[in-house]
Amino acid sequence: MEYEITAEDKNETYVVLPAYNEATRIQPVIEAIAEKGYNMVIVNDGSLDNTLDVILESKRKYPNRIHVYSLLINRGVGIATQTGFDAVLKYNPKYIVSMDSDGQHSADDLDNVIKPLVTGEAEAVIGVRPLKDMPFTRNFANSIMNLLTRIFYRVDVSDSQTGFRAITKGALNKISINATGYLISSEFIREINDNNIPFAEVPIETIYTPETQAKGTNVTVAIKILLQMIKHQF
Amino acid sequence: MLLYSLIFPIISLIAIVGIVLRYMKRKNSFTTVILWSIFWIFVSVFALFPNLSTSFASAFGITRGLDFVIILVFIILFYIALKLYFIVDKMQNDLNKIVKEVAIQNEITLDDEEE
Repeated sequence: MEYEITAEDKNETYVVLPAYNEATRIQPVIEAIAEKGYNMVIVNDGSLDNTLDVILESKRKYPNRIHVYSLLINRGVGIATQTGFDAVLKYNPKYIVSMDSDGQHSADDLDNVIKPLVTGEAEAVIGVRPLKDMPFTRNFANSIMNLLTRIFYRVDVSDSQTGFRAITKGALNKISINATGYLISSEFIREINDNNIPFAEVPIETIYTPETQAKGTNVTVAIKILLQMIKHQF
Repeated sequence: MLLYSLIFPIISLIAIVGIVLRYMKRKNSFTTVILWSIFWIFVSVFALFPNLSTSFASAFGITRGLDFVIILVFIILFYIALKLYFIVDKMQNDLNKIVKEVAIQNEITLDDEEE
């Protein structure tokens, strides 16, 4: 019989949400996660809009589920996620998930993503987006990034640029993330591989809207990641 | 005497005085004063005695004096660009650490907002 995620499992899980200028999109994401019974550490990445106010509005509804941190200035998704990973350890979680806060990931996938961690099948999970659903330019950039991750980091995964990932506390303590921007996705995979942490890939749903497409890995970001990968070789 | 033979030594003198003044205001290090002074003295010497660059050039196996000056300027510019890159990179890393640490130490509570 397949394992069902319990309320206790959810209570021991913290979702890290880095947020930059997400005032119009983040509220349904936060509230869907809170409704499912998961805890959150939300990091406002020096947003220029009122993202922080929107986050605090949700915190008023779920005061015990939501922990909020804010970077004084925008430092990129890598630094915001690192801040979340460091801050989350204060709450002694068993499982840590990181998700995008723009609504492209569904809270319905949380149970599936943490399941391999709870059952002990893996210590790290990456949520894999179906390539067929991806717009062409995004699909192309992602295929190149998968290839580069294979060349530079010697890890073969189906989706190296996913922002949906989960890890146990023990495994999180073993890895070291230094990336500031979108390189964090490939770096996470490299660290998992280098530290021999057993990992699993779980298919996830991705909701593409014109707004979510404006962010993430496009060709310009892919070139930036390539330069950073080359730099990290030295 | 060509015009540049007059202009370059004047520019060099102004630059050296500027660097010394900055040093006196503790805005740069003594090493910077020495390195920049050497650079500007070289510029003045080459401007005043253009034939001297040919002797320097032949010492490095370069036939024309002007080629030597151009190569030298490229090397200096490349060095400065690389040094600036490393300085900016280090400052970015330091900034990231500070911003991260400040955020972690200051969890935002609902009380903060009400204050």
